[in-house]
Amino acid sequence: MDTATDNRVPVTVLTGFLGAGKTTLLNRVLTENHGKRIAVIENEFGEVGVDQDLVIGADEEVFEMNNGCICCTVRGDLIRILGSLMKRRDKFDYILLETTGMADPGPVAQTFFMDDEMQQKLELDAIVTVVDAGHVDQHIDDSDEVREQIAFADVLLLNKVDLVDEEKLAGLEGRIRNMNAAAKIYRTKDAAVEMESILGVGGFDLDRALDLDPKFMEPEYPFEWSGVYDLQPGTYELVVGEGPDPSMGVVLLPVAGDSSEALEAVRENAVLAFSGEERVLAAGDGLPAGGRLNRLELGTEERRFPVPVEESGLYALFTEHCPEEFGAGLRGAAGEVPPVRAVEYKPDHEHDEEVTSVGITVPGDLDPDRLNAWLGDLLANKGPDIFRMKGILSIRGEEERFVFQGVHMLFDGRPDRPWGEEERSNTLIFIGRNLDRDELNEGFRGCLA
Amino acid sequence: MSRVRTGTGRAGKPVSLARVWTGDVGSYASGLVWSPDGKQVAVSGIEGPVTVFDAASGERRHELSGHGSGTTALSWSPDGRLLASAGQDGKVRLWSMTGTGGSQELNGGSAWVEKAAWSPDGRYLVSAAGRRLRLWKPDGTLLWESRDQQSTITDVQWRPDSSRELATTAYGGLTLWKPGSPEPARRFEWKGSSLVAAWSPNGKFIATGDQDSTVHFWISKTGHDLQMYGYPTKVRELSWNTTSRYLATGGGPAVTVWDCSGKGPAGSQPLAFEAHEDAVNDLAFGLRGPRLLSGGEDGLVAVWEPGGRSGAVALQALDTGVARLAWAPGDKRIAVGGSDGTVTVFEAP
Repeated sequence: MDTATDNRVPVTVLTGFLGAGKTTLLNRVLTENHGKRIAVIENEFGEVGVDQDLVIGADEEVFEMNNGCICCTVRGDLIRILGSLMKRRDKFDYILLETTGMADPGPVAQTFFMDDEMQQKLELDAIVTVVDAGHVDQHIDDSDEVREQIAFADVLLLNKVDLVDEEKLAGLEGRIRNMNAAAKIYRTKDAAVEMESILGVGGFDLDRALDLDPKFMEPEYPFEWSGVYDLQPGTYELVVGEGPDPSMGVVLLPVAGDSSEALEAVRENAVLAFSGEERVLAAGDGLPAGGRLNRLELGTEERRFPVPVEESGLYALFTEHCPEEFGAGLRGAAGEVPPVRAVEYKPDHEHDEEVTSVGITVPGDLDPDRLNAWLGDLLANKGPDIFRMKGILSIRGEEERFVFQGVHMLFDGRPDRPWGEEERSNTLIFIGRNLDRDELNEGFRGCLA
Repeated sequence: MSRVRTGTGRAGKPVSLARVWTGDVGSYASGLVWSPDGKQVAVSGIEGPVTVFDAASGERRHELSGHGSGTTALSWSPDGRLLASAGQDGKVRLWSMTGTGGSQELNGGSAWVEKAAWSPDGRYLVSAAGRRLRLWKPDGTLLWESRDQQSTITDVQWRPDSSRELATTAYGGLTLWKPGSPEPARRFEWKGSSLVAAWSPNGKFIATGDQDSTVHFWISKTGHDLQMYGYPTKVRELSWNTTSRYLATGGGPAVTVWDCSGKGPAGSQPLAFEAHEDAVNDLAFGLRGPRLLSGGEDGLVAVWEPGGRSGAVALQALDTGVARLAWAPGDKRIAVGGSDGTVTVFEAP
């Protein structure tokens, strides 16, 4: 992939299930006064029709490239239509490509990288996916295409929010975020969104490869829950009943406040503790505060673990599983002690998603040979399941940051600006199907110099 | 594919081309054909209108509306009476080129007609639209229609020595047709997308240019094929010389010429002619002589002599990319259509 060509016409790909609001969005773009002359390629008959804009119909035709890899499919109809469109290019300066509700975005995206003419003259700006807040939950469960459309997106419009309550919206957003941690999500009514949020996004632009909000790059935590408790000197009890596992790791740490920032500040210590040595506790064994992992042995009956508190203050309890799964709670002399703040690190427990995002953040330098071998092997074997990837890497001996992005097996990367004073580290994200988080993390860490 | 960098024979300094006249069709020249008597040149713009120029003076003889949503191809009937055009409005139009004028509109059968081509004897016109072919009489009567193919037809070519046989390209390879039967006569299957076909004048080979940067030689009798790798880009430019010895191919800035004499091109090294700095957009062997014309995105028009000179016979730089070019009947003149819509006629060198 060569992205160095100037003067290319940007293309926004609009995907979404039938009825999600693509046509509403399309009409909005066409009627908005943005000063752009837009050509529209439609795969579905919607009620689009604005005189000064060019609207062309397309038939979905997916081609495999003979001497390419198995996932190097392209859209023949788009090559033909866009090729012809580019010959009259002085008449417009932006292309909107609407796919059918059942379209796989992979071949659409790959068309812009696999065909020389497309690559030279057009720039895939972003994939914008519209989902219907009222129905997307079911669509995600039922439809491969909807899962892929969400996974491929640079921008997600959670549309028709007026028809759904806040609690459901929060759950949906969490579920979608879990699938695609790199996309920008906007809640919309009637697909009303600022034009700059969907046009000129630069989703495939290496210069913007990691315009990622760092909070979405959170690694998978070894714990699922934490709670902050306000405790007085004395002895409390952690009471844990029967649950899905025979044991549970817990860490108790003093914390400076009950704000989310304060909790975040001790979270890293908890991560360290969880990766350190553990002490096995039988019922009745004490569970003191400190940077140590305690493994509670559990049984069919309720077990109690005394928690001695010497100094009054705030304490954060990190638990491997959600306490509610074990009917667990902290008890004091006066009974149940509720947490003053509680955070779940796996916001969506109901869905064991097939499509997920794996973010990796690791400080240090990479060995280029090991990285090449690992990445080559990964793309060759898992390419069909990796929809999108992007990141910034620190390669040993190189002064510049290395930025990359990719679609399936297509990899596009180059050196970017020098690291300078910035701490050298690696941040990357994979969005795909059946990704093995531990294996990816372990493989990547194996590339460290 | 490694290329032989030099041809055989003498070298010499290339000459420039003498301009006869310049015209304009307003947008990218999507089609360019000479009338069979060489007295007129028809050029279509990608945005629709078709202009027929007087070949000697450049005077605009006919301004035809063409196809509002874009004209894709032109074909002039061998008797000179009808100019056929195909368009992105799903129509084929037959324009009368005799005194009376007038035109007839035919339905291609899909939203986009890619190609329209007269048979060598002029008795039939074939159109390719979407996944089907239609065969017409010059009076506009529909004679035959193919069954829908699995994929959009990208090119249709008559067998040069017969008006009974057609070849089409699509995703999935090459298909041979004998109009009359709705089913193909033969299929030469290949898992890839073929973009253009060129039948050797003796009918022995059908070459295809392909999306994945290859050229195939299909032996029309047996269906065996040779695949030529190593092109930098997809191949949309093919031209055979009159003796069926040389096939010229584009697919990048070099003009690559395969020699099909003797044992054929299998395992051989092609001749490479290099002057263009950007992709070659069109190629045409002379209708009589050995000369080959190439035009590139870089605006260069080059005349080559495969088997003769190693370098160019003539080189001419234009202010616009070259979209289409064609020799006049008799090879005395050359017409070039630009990507900005300019049309230039040169004296042949």
